[in-house]
Amino acid sequence: MTDAIVSCRGVSKIFGSGELAVHALREVDLEILPGDFATLAGPSGSGKTTLLNMIGALDTPSSGHVVIDGQDLGSLSKAQLSDLRLNKVGFVFQAYNLIPVLSARENIEFVLELHGLERGERRQRATDILREVGLEGMEDRRPAQLSGGQQQRVAVARALVSRPRIVLADEPTANLDSRTTGELVQLMYRLNREMGTTFVIGTHDPRVMEHSKRHIELLDGRIASDERIG
Amino acid sequence: MMNTIRIFAPLAWRNLWRNPRRTLITLVVVSVGLWSVLAFNSFLNAWTQASKDTTLQLLLGQGQIHAAGYMDDPGVETLMPPPSDGLLKALGDKRINAWATRLVVPSVVQSEYKTLPVMIVGVDPKAEGRVSSIPGKVVEGRYLNGPDDDGVVIGRHLAERLKTGLGRRVILMSQGADGLLAEQSFDVVGLYDVDQQTEDYYVFTGRTAGQKFLRLKDEIAEIVFTIPKDQDLAPVIRSLKAVAPDMDVRSWKQLSPFLAATNSFMSGFIYIWLSVVFTLMAIGIVNTQLMAVFERTHEFGLLQALGMKPRLVLIMVTMESTLLIGLGVLIGMAMAAASIWVTSDGIDLSGFARGLELVQGGQVLYPKFDAGSFVLFSLVIWILGIVVALWPARRASKCSPVEAMRMAT
Ligand SMILES: Nc1ncnc2c1ncn2[C@@H]1O[C@H](COP(=O)(O)OP(=O)(O)OP(=O)(O)O)[C@@H](O)[C@H]1O
Ligand SMILES: [Mg+2]
Repeated sequence: MTDAIVSCRGVSKIFGSGELAVHALREVDLEILPGDFATLAGPSGSGKTTLLNMIGALDTPSSGHVVIDGQDLGSLSKAQLSDLRLNKVGFVFQAYNLIPVLSARENIEFVLELHGLERGERRQRATDILREVGLEGMEDRRPAQLSGGQQQRVAVARALVSRPRIVLADEPTANLDSRTTGELVQLMYRLNREMGTTFVIGTHDPRVMEHSKRHIELLDGRIASDERIG
Repeated sequence: MMNTIRIFAPLAWRNLWRNPRRTLITLVVVSVGLWSVLAFNSFLNAWTQASKDTTLQLLLGQGQIHAAGYMDDPGVETLMPPPSDGLLKALGDKRINAWATRLVVPSVVQSEYKTLPVMIVGVDPKAEGRVSSIPGKVVEGRYLNGPDDDGVVIGRHLAERLKTGLGRRVILMSQGADGLLAEQSFDVVGLYDVDQQTEDYYVFTGRTAGQKFLRLKDEIAEIVFTIPKDQDLAPVIRSLKAVAPDMDVRSWKQLSPFLAATNSFMSGFIYIWLSVVFTLMAIGIVNTQLMAVFERTHEFGLLQALGMKPRLVLIMVTMESTLLIGLGVLIGMAMAAASIWVTSDGIDLSGFARGLELVQGGQVLYPKFDAGSFVLFSLVIWILGIVVALWPARRASKCSPVEAMRMAT
């Protein structure tokens, strides 16, 4: 079990305090293994987003430990958390994932710039990954000139381009129609199979769960079930 | 750091034009603010310069030499011989434009109606014309013809007070060299018109004629000199002091402390204006930038979620304000340079001449382009602008990625 990418031990998250305190997560134990294609489901308010934020080093637990690739989040500064996200995690959010003043390619190159990559290599990798997600010929469009599904593909491409250990997607298909949803899930599934990228996807969408290889169900801040499929 | 700038500069530039209206407002605020500082500064300098020149050209010159004791007690006992030897040679130096000797003693002028205290000034008209503007300000009659001209040229206002005029006679009284009263009547041959104070106080006659009247030989009271434009005064004063160690050599600043004080007050005034402009500008910058940052909260959160450190967000937003304010500064500089260029042929204030005369201002101002103050004020505005914009930038770097992502859904 030491080869887990992320492991959560007794993770609780409490928002607010006193009477108004909300227990978003209660004593969650979870391990994400390399190659996982996991879906995280549960009713609204059950703590999906909160848990994904922990796994992605966006937030730190109120108690318990989150260890990402050997590093305990509790011991890291803000800047170190930033570095951890930059190097190990890719994110796909529900919407407004892209920087509006940058073109599709520039959005991807931006992350590579943060990594300190040379211009030539940046361009090459951005072009390649955009082809990979089926956006050849749209490299120079700004987000406003892309459809919702295309924007999400750019977001997936950006999450993948720096070859992170894990990609987290929080309701990536919530704003998409069913056909585009299907395409996006297919894309992520293919990338998981072909490149071995680990995915954890928070979702309500049955079309997403269809491809799931591991299904985690949250209820009231606790893991209600965690089963591998197939 | 260079690398960071290269990466974020294009991004910062594009972000500026996301809200063109707001960017334009900031540009206008900065450029008009800087323009007003630069234009006002050159106008003020021109005005101070012109009023200083006008005053110095009346009688003061750039400096004067007297016998020791004359300044405390001007009169026939504190005179000196005309310059000779070393001093004469020093006055011929190329750092001195022109010089003239004068006999200046207190006196009383009397007409049929009135008796008034004045200074009688004996001049050599030719030399005087090179150091003083008064020979050119005769409005009725003529100026003096030579050192032995025994007519008098008096101020127009003095003539009014004495109820006398051109072609009439006035009596001058003073203490003669022998200690006895000297008294003589003089023809009024000319009236000059400058400012009231001068007109009331100085009565001009030929130097030799004045010496004869006071029963003197060739003694004089003062040597007045001017220096070429752009020549430093201090070394000239030093070398004159060196050749005339027992004499009283003074610069115009020492001769007229009031004028010197006015001068430095005027140049200090620009800093008051600078701080007013800056305060208004700072309010404008902070307001618009805070608004811009607030609107982009989600984006700053996203950038941090992607692994951009808070420090980098701060740098990026600061670069935006650096570009924005820098652009405003450039526009302001161009506007100021243009308005100085347009007015460099002179701003004619003769319309206000009467009013300005009271404070001894010049009538035509020549605003000058002064690269030093241009760069200084522009840099001050730019740097201070960036500093106040650090506040909104800090706000941006404090955006929490979690909050930002929550806001989106
Ligand atoms: N920053 C916060 N401040 C206060 N309460 C919060 C905060 N973030 C989450 N919560 C609360 O924690 C609980 C879990 O929220 P979370 O967003 O993780 O649920 P979710 O499963 O993602 O729901 P949804 O399906 O609606 O996205 C909810 O009750 C929510 O109101
Ligand atoms: Mg959620």
